[in-house]
Amino acid sequence: MALLSVRDLVVRFTTEEATVYAVNGVGFDVEQGETVGLVGESGCGKSVTSLALTRLLPQPAGRIEGGTVEFAGRSLLDLPEDELRHVRGRQIAMVFQDPLTSLNPVLTIERQLTEGILAHEELPPGEAHARAVELLKMVGISDAERRLKSYPHQLSGGMRQRAMIAMALALRPKLLIADEPTTALDVTIQAQVIDLIRDLTSRTGTAVLLITHDLGVVADMTKRTYVMYAGYIVETATTAELFARPRHPYTVGLLNSISRIDSDDAGPVRAVEGQPPEQTRPPTGCPFAPRCAWRLPICWHENPPLRAEKDGPIMTTGPGASHLFACHHPATDAELRAGRPLEAGFRAAPRPTPATPDELAAPVPT
Amino acid sequence: MTTTSFEPSPLGPEPIESVPLVWQPAIDIGWVTSTPRQLAWRRFRRNRLAIAGVVVLAVLALIAILAPVIAPYDPIKPDLKAFGKPPSAAHLLGTDSSGRDVLSRLMHGARVSLSIGIVAVSIYLTIGTILGSLAGYRRGLTDAIIGRTTDTVMSFPSLIIILAIIPIVGRSIFNIMIVIGLLNWPAVCRLVRGEFLSLREREYTLAARGIGARDRRIIVRHILPNVTGPLVVLASFGMADAIIAEAGLSLLGLGIQPPAPSWGVDLAAAIDVGILTNKPWLWVFPGAAIAISVLSINFIGDGLRDALDPRGTTVIRR
Repeated sequence: MALLSVRDLVVRFTTEEATVYAVNGVGFDVEQGETVGLVGESGCGKSVTSLALTRLLPQPAGRIEGGTVEFAGRSLLDLPEDELRHVRGRQIAMVFQDPLTSLNPVLTIERQLTEGILAHEELPPGEAHARAVELLKMVGISDAERRLKSYPHQLSGGMRQRAMIAMALALRPKLLIADEPTTALDVTIQAQVIDLIRDLTSRTGTAVLLITHDLGVVADMTKRTYVMYAGYIVETATTAELFARPRHPYTVGLLNSISRIDSDDAGPVRAVEGQPPEQTRPPTGCPFAPRCAWRLPICWHENPPLRAEKDGPIMTTGPGASHLFACHHPATDAELRAGRPLEAGFRAAPRPTPATPDELAAPVPT
Repeated sequence: MTTTSFEPSPLGPEPIESVPLVWQPAIDIGWVTSTPRQLAWRRFRRNRLAIAGVVVLAVLALIAILAPVIAPYDPIKPDLKAFGKPPSAAHLLGTDSSGRDVLSRLMHGARVSLSIGIVAVSIYLTIGTILGSLAGYRRGLTDAIIGRTTDTVMSFPSLIIILAIIPIVGRSIFNIMIVIGLLNWPAVCRLVRGEFLSLREREYTLAARGIGARDRRIIVRHILPNVTGPLVVLASFGMADAIIAEAGLSLLGLGIQPPAPSWGVDLAAAIDVGILTNKPWLWVFPGAAIAISVLSINFIGDGLRDALDPRGTTVIRR
């Protein structure tokens, strides 16, 4: 049994104007001590998924409409709020994207560092202070005593994110959810923060769910990766396998859109064309079909389930995890390098004209 | 495709140092900048009117506190040798028609005015903050109930209510404080609710929930400190309003019970054609005391608003 096990998670946002189908049946596992990546472009539901795990979705718009979240043998979605509070911070901690906005501007670093500890433990003030000093030292902030008295705006971006990490790891959680932890930092600091997270979590055996759109960070830090698109998980494998042999056209597009130092042919960097779907209608067909060069006619009306390349038992976690993808017409190794389908005469299936009830009986024009 | 090539350095590749885990910033930026409080104080200090207001108010407060010691006469006992005498060496600001020393009455009156200002404002600040933060944080039904209550209380014609209540509960300084306090919280409530509505969506609120903090803790420790700026400003203007309210009530005969000293009582006693034309010291000095204290508090409020909220957007003066 994995530490965290999510099945068929469905999250919708309902406002007066529209319903947003943010997460449409996502499932994944994180094993104890494992570092797992969740990648996808902005708005694909990565952060919503992570917030839904501990029921932190913005209320009242965000609703979990289905699915299960099992954490350490307990179902988080059925837990009463008061018990869930003990899971948050103590067992599942979060680091957010922008340390400046996720730190309270009017409280000192010390107040915020001890907040997590004091929310869960009765401690005399002196001891809380000592813990705070220890935590800052742990994340490599020098002169801890003085930094504790400062306010967030007095620290640099890197130091703020270090402080956030210290806060998150203060209670030695079993799982750290890091939501774009390096996006707001400049590149040199990014590397340090990634090193820090990897270092500290491996020391304490904390599992990490790393949410990012940065494939470089994923390659650097994770052992296993889930690729998300429009609220679906479209492909998952060990990170090495995923980078070497992606199957889903979206993953292929993502990998072709970054420059890779390990590729022998210096092909041009290609963007994934088109825009992600608006997600305001219930999805029909494969969500990636409108942008896909490999699409078949079936892609327009049938969303493929996640399946393995080879038959046999499916491993969901660990270094031997199965390579799963949700695609009717996956890319081959040769096509991966070319970035387009190589079958002779293949053309992506055109969008079927939307059928009105009257037209349903009539044959679809070709 | 053409590529730019680098000439290899004749000295060989430069050594790359590994990144140390303990990270020392090259420039110690942290200690050049100031805390929010220091910044606000610096902005406040630049406002001369506000500083003048602080000085005047401090003097008034000192007089109020020390009134029993420094007042030359008893504020209630008449000087039987001097009825309605103009200012003189014995009575610096003159005496009223009953022979009471005007200066002594003003000094004691300062205690009434300032304490009404402080207590009444504290009462409605407390009520307004509690209800406003609940409404803004909880939203939904709580917000609807508190919101409608706020509207109801706001729609009361406060003067009529006071006219109706004071005769029943009696004329005393405490009753005035409570009545002013109970009628003025809606403005605070709305301000706090508005701030909470926006602050509860901030990422640090989410972060606080994410570490498992209770709602009460989030409201009190994480969000409320962000509202203190606008609240302090509102409170300062509220104090000025409360002082005027007390004076107005006393003038109408609904405030402090004469012969107890109060600026409003003294003004009310001066409503008489004979006094207005012939004995200006009986109304000029109490009137000036009210004007000076209210003005200085307003200047402080203006200064605080500019200092605490440089964008000048969050507080709307009533």
